[in-house]
Amino acid sequence: MASLTVNGQTYQIQSDPSTPVLWLIRDVIGLKGTKYGCGISVCGACTILVGGTPQRSCQITMADINGAPVTTIEGLSADSSHPLQQAWIAHQVPQCGFCQSGQILRATQLIANGKIPSDADINVTMNNICVCGTYTRMRAAIHSAAGG
Amino acid sequence: MRYAAAIAARRASSAALSPSADRDPSCDCEPCAARAAHGAGVGLNRRNFLFSGVAACGGLLIGVGVPGRARATGGTYRITAWVSVGTDETVTILSGSQEMGQGIYSALAQIVAEELRVDWPQVQVGPAPLAAVFDNPLLGAQTTAGSSSVRGYFSALLEAGAIARQMLIEAGAAAMGVKPKACVAAGGKVVVKATGQSVTFGSVAAAASQLKPPKKATLYSNSGFVLVGQPVPRPELPAKVNGTAVYGSDVVVPGMLYGAVLLCPTRGGTVATMGPAPSGSQAVNLGTGIAAVANAGPNGTTWTAMQAVKQVKVTWSLPADAAQQTSKIILSEAETLLVSGNAIVAETVGDVASAQAGAAKVLTLTYILPYVPHTTLETPNCTARVTARTCEIWASTQAPAGAQAVAASITGLKPQAITVNCMQMGGGLGRKLEQDFVAYAVIASKALGVPVQLVFPREQDFTQDQYRPMAVCRVTVGLDKSGRIVSWDFRNVSPSILYQRGYIVDGQLDDQATEGATGLPYALPNRLMDWVRHPATVPVGFWRSVGNSINAFACESAVDEAALASRTDPLAYRQGLLAGNARALAVLNQAAALGGWGVTRQGYANGLAYHEQFGTLAAVVVTITETSGVIQVLNVACAVDCGMVVNPDTAAQQIEGGIVQGLTSALWSQILFKNGIAQTSNFDNYRMMRMADMPTVEVSLLQTPGAPLGGLGEVGVPCMAPALANAWAKLTGKRLRTLPLFPKG
Ligand code: FES
Ligand code: FES
Repeated sequence: MASLTVNGQTYQIQSDPSTPVLWLIRDVIGLKGTKYGCGISVCGACTILVGGTPQRSCQITMADINGAPVTTIEGLSADSSHPLQQAWIAHQVPQCGFCQSGQILRATQLIANGKIPSDADINVTMNNICVCGTYTRMRAAIHSAAGG
Repeated sequence: MRYAAAIAARRASSAALSPSADRDPSCDCEPCAARAAHGAGVGLNRRNFLFSGVAACGGLLIGVGVPGRARATGGTYRITAWVSVGTDETVTILSGSQEMGQGIYSALAQIVAEELRVDWPQVQVGPAPLAAVFDNPLLGAQTTAGSSSVRGYFSALLEAGAIARQMLIEAGAAAMGVKPKACVAAGGKVVVKATGQSVTFGSVAAAASQLKPPKKATLYSNSGFVLVGQPVPRPELPAKVNGTAVYGSDVVVPGMLYGAVLLCPTRGGTVATMGPAPSGSQAVNLGTGIAAVANAGPNGTTWTAMQAVKQVKVTWSLPADAAQQTSKIILSEAETLLVSGNAIVAETVGDVASAQAGAAKVLTLTYILPYVPHTTLETPNCTARVTARTCEIWASTQAPAGAQAVAASITGLKPQAITVNCMQMGGGLGRKLEQDFVAYAVIASKALGVPVQLVFPREQDFTQDQYRPMAVCRVTVGLDKSGRIVSWDFRNVSPSILYQRGYIVDGQLDDQATEGATGLPYALPNRLMDWVRHPATVPVGFWRSVGNSINAFACESAVDEAALASRTDPLAYRQGLLAGNARALAVLNQAAALGGWGVTRQGYANGLAYHEQFGTLAAVVVTITETSGVIQVLNVACAVDCGMVVNPDTAAQQIEGGIVQGLTSALWSQILFKNGIAQTSNFDNYRMMRMADMPTVEVSLLQTPGAPLGGLGEVGVPCMAPALANAWAKLTGKRLRTLPLFPKG
């Protein structure tokens, strides 16, 4: 049995070790904010933070995580108070919202440690798909969350 | 099956429904029902769903105010079908339309709240249960399609808000010992006009809920709008940034097992034989494919099911025409049909033949469009719990009544025994009008006797879609010596969404295929628009803006080509074609101004397109450049006039989103078929707009007081392809008449 720490809570996992972390989070632990979009590490809907770094969870296993703590969208803040969550609301970013957990977690990297990202930084880092096309608002929200 | 509600939406303003379209499924066996469901699309049987005895929808109520607002113990009182008021002053408004990203929870609730006179933070919104009272008046059904929600519900919701407010006032007046006439409603309170004394809605909710609704609604908004027109925040967004929004695929039902589908790769094929499921899972024959459902336990995950479904040995019965369902063959058939097919006239004005004979110059322009998938980010999915007596469904669906009808035909239960819980959608785009995914979940739950959540793996979403139809459009334009259009002959050859579903018979017009090519706003004194049905059997369906995005590409490219042939600036040319149409000119000129039309810069070019649909006018100016043959889209300026805007922020979002979908589909999207098998199966070989590809986007919403309300959900899409092709022609001198414009990405 292996243990997986998600949002500060440790779970004993008995599932097949080849199960991608996405499905452990969604179907075993029951946190549904992390989404399935492609299963092949291309769309970014399944993005989580592993030891604080954004990673796509649909193609990584417990072994890849190697005990590092995982943060999902549910654990980003207790009360939606993370600057990105606040900026996302202020700019009314989401449409269907299905990509947004992944987008927000992806964006954490851009503003970590007081960084002020440029548009070019945003272009490089924010490479998750949003079918609804909320890119312009995400860009604006990232800038305002960064205080830039 | 009766005519699809989505179609009704599109036709409501023009044509009458054809009675010949009624069709009853003759066979209820499971594979047949599944196939019928697959073909049925948004079809639904009004007889089946007029009955309204369905319990409240399971969707969550969502409020702007405080996330997870604690409910007071005093309870909530239903004032009318649409409005409930809690003793904690929470006002719950139900939405007849489903939330799929378009912000309909704010727009519709705003209309009710306008007349109720409550403050927006008091409002929470959730999906209405399936009942006739909640039907969209424009559709005659509770279907979310055809950019029809605000247009359809507007008057009904003003009245619904007013009726509830009148009841609250009556109760409040009684509580204060004054006449209702002495009171007004404001800020969620009943206020005595003379004294300012007031009671809150919450404090009189219980009493109001006992009153008889007044017969006549008195509209406060006759003297102007307060909340309508305001960019109020969307009530469901807080849950979308903290992971608590519950989509169809997030539903957890006690005892539920996770499953995944695998349908016959060759479209139209069925299961011949099915082997056993690998250990730890069970297999179900769905007729057109199979499902694997993972057993409970630590490996009871969607992933296990996705692996298992690929391990079941299946042999398929393939349709006789499989080899014909190959893109190259389909295209060459279309080219033959263009010349020799049986064309059905959709519109004819003046005398095209003699005008063309007398033309100084004739342009014959042929445009080719591919099949395009929907790719909603949430793949189709449904959760079903079928018992001997009941069936409960949780689905992200644009057509809950259709889901109910399909479940009824599979289970043999009466519609009253079937509850549809409408979940938020991770994108709709027309894909979730279909009932295939609902049918499969119901079949699986019925077969296994347990609740089942069935998900389409992304590969199944790509390869088992009902695509935007391929099309070949030929525009023959006759110009006089001065370059004016004297004849306009537009022929569209495409597979028919309506014919494939049995809604029309051979020889009948599919007006979904011709929409956006008839009733053009331009001064075209001699014009003919006709359509030839392509018999290809690759399943086609409703794709955001349907025929509009096909026909606008041909039409607006051709207008540009005519302008260039007559050495006229494309903006001036269109201004000439729209002369005297002040509303259209305002939209056109606004887009031109916003997009910097006429500003020339070496290495850059603008492209223009104008299109009307769903009663809304739209114009787009794109600015592009190019590096070693690769296009870069720098800016998109869009002006839109939909009459009146209920929520300018969500309206802008819809246009912004439509622009992005229009860009993706125009630049790169296509699904090719070989022997009936889709050749693209995931996002790794299907390019979509990402952040780094994004142009800047500017949207300008014009309003025309007194004009009928127009739709907004789809209007961002159609102008994009022609605007890009027009810009590319200007920049490079090369005219691209085939979509996608850049198939290699
Ligand atoms: S689901 Fe993991 S990247 Fe798409
Ligand atoms: S908000 Fe719908 S996919 Fe991004």
